[in-house]
Amino acid sequence: MIQAPDDIYLALQRQLYYEARILSAAQYDEWLAMLADNINYAMEMPQRRFKEDRTPDRAPRKTPIFDDDMAALKMRIARFNTGFVWAENPINAIRHIVSSVEVFETDDTNQFSVYSIIEVHRSRLDAERKRLTAGRQDIWQKTGSEFKLLTRTATLDDGVVLDSNINFFF
Amino acid sequence: MSELDDLIDFKTGRQKRVIYSDPDIYEQELEKIFARSWLFVAHECQIKEPGDFIRTFMGEDEVLVVRQKDDSVKAFLNTCTHRGNRLCKADHGNSKTFVCNYHGWGFGTDGALNGVPLEKEAYYNKLDKGKFGLIEVAQIKNYKGLIFATFDEEAPSLEEYLGEMKWYLDVWLDAMPEGTELIGTAMKVELPVNWKLPVENVSGDGYHLGWAHAGAMSVTTSMSVGGLEVGNTGTDNDGAVSVAGLNGHTVLAALDGQSGYGFYPDPKIAVDYLQANRKTVVDRLGEFRGTKMWGSQINMTVFPNLQMLPGLNWFRIYHPKGPGKFEMWTWAMVDKEMSDDLKQMILDNVSRTFGPAGLFDNDDGDNLQAITEQSHGWRTRQMDVYTNMAIGAEHSREEMPGVISDGLVCEQNQRYVYRRWLEMMKADSWDDIPQYNSLEEARATEAK
Repeated sequence: MIQAPDDIYLALQRQLYYEARILSAAQYDEWLAMLADNINYAMEMPQRRFKEDRTPDRAPRKTPIFDDDMAALKMRIARFNTGFVWAENPINAIRHIVSSVEVFETDDTNQFSVYSIIEVHRSRLDAERKRLTAGRQDIWQKTGSEFKLLTRTATLDDGVVLDSNINFFF
Repeated sequence: MSELDDLIDFKTGRQKRVIYSDPDIYEQELEKIFARSWLFVAHECQIKEPGDFIRTFMGEDEVLVVRQKDDSVKAFLNTCTHRGNRLCKADHGNSKTFVCNYHGWGFGTDGALNGVPLEKEAYYNKLDKGKFGLIEVAQIKNYKGLIFATFDEEAPSLEEYLGEMKWYLDVWLDAMPEGTELIGTAMKVELPVNWKLPVENVSGDGYHLGWAHAGAMSVTTSMSVGGLEVGNTGTDNDGAVSVAGLNGHTVLAALDGQSGYGFYPDPKIAVDYLQANRKTVVDRLGEFRGTKMWGSQINMTVFPNLQMLPGLNWFRIYHPKGPGKFEMWTWAMVDKEMSDDLKQMILDNVSRTFGPAGLFDNDDGDNLQAITEQSHGWRTRQMDVYTNMAIGAEHSREEMPGVISDGLVCEQNQRYVYRRWLEMMKADSWDDIPQYNSLEEARATEAK
């Protein structure tokens, strides 16, 4: 894989930090504005299989935690905006920490493949601390001086989800 | 009267909060309920070929459910008979043997101990391997695709255990000729909640929908579901029923034949599927179930820990992990005859509504966690909680079995879940656990 030029790398790293800040602040209209109209935002339910077991999954389909297009993401955000999501009132403090950012060129000169790790810290209720980690593989589309997120495939590390809701994005 | 009688008052709909927090009560639940009940362990589609296995739980006991060479199914405790190590760590897959990581003892898919390292040198060939096979469950049985097992040799047959609940289960399991399948793997979430709270919630609590899930309902609803309204301002008592008195199993059902797909933003292909196959289902299940129930939003609960919602199409089991914790495993379940597009739409919708990031499911965790925590305090654990809605509204109906109350907003079903809980907790043997499948039988067997 070919490393992206430094100016692209810096611009996309800035973009990821900015995205992390607005996701933590639940500024979802701004987040939607940085997504391509044909976004695919996906996260699969992890499975534990033996390494040597090469038999295909009996389940015919991958199981999503997220497999969202723009309409589905807007539906999630519309739910938050109803004011009826009692679990988020008072707000739960949340921090998105992005690290291990790598940017590579792709066959399309205007698209870049971006790997990163996202660590989500939530402080919930009285003394409840939740920490979820995931790897992310993105494709960002460059249009003029702007970048839009075209696809995000996040890989959750836990085989059992350790929070009773995912009222946030990775 | 035993001490347990004070915990539940079926007549007035009262439960002592201590049942959600007390470690001693939880230990009794493992023995009296989970060790005796028929528990769901696998759908037959998950283990199609010989050597296919699923790792799951019966109560807190870990079991391996394995397809045999003769196509039968066995379930074993997932523990090495030598020193007690966990045998298999994978969630599912296919294997010819299960080899323990500790000393290398190897077991066949039939549970037999086949390989013991240094058998000659260290055991002097005196180990009777026939006595160290994996420990099987006492009984295992398939009901129309769903495989259940029990640790209790004395438990009644699965058919008897399910009783007239079978009549309702068939609205999903036997509606279409080819039956059902799970698509995708289990979506697993751990919650700091007593296991009974989600069971009673889904068994009968239509009351919380318009309030706890007001945000999710606002953005997903495309058709009326039992007349429920955002903000808890409406319900339709004529168009839906709560059904209980089925050996502890319950059903909450709209009777419109399509509202199962009411929480899909664009349910057209699902509604088309219902129309195209309505006649088939009426031929198989009769006019009432075929037109009023098939396609409707229905919550089915098989006591103690299995729930399935045709329409929303989720299938779920709760594994207890102590008085204040459980794991929830959710799958999408579909009719095999459905088109690939419809199956994919259902899988996406199950994930989007009731998966780990589900628009509905994400509303319940904090409420149920708080109830668990509000049963711990020195003062709160002495307090009661109530399921006293619509007391005295019970009746029977010619067209369907069980004890009926009108509407989705009704706490009859929760009262019957707790009645069954008490019956099993008090009983020394199955002879003391009453069987009832109608209003008359439920009344005749009610504890004095």
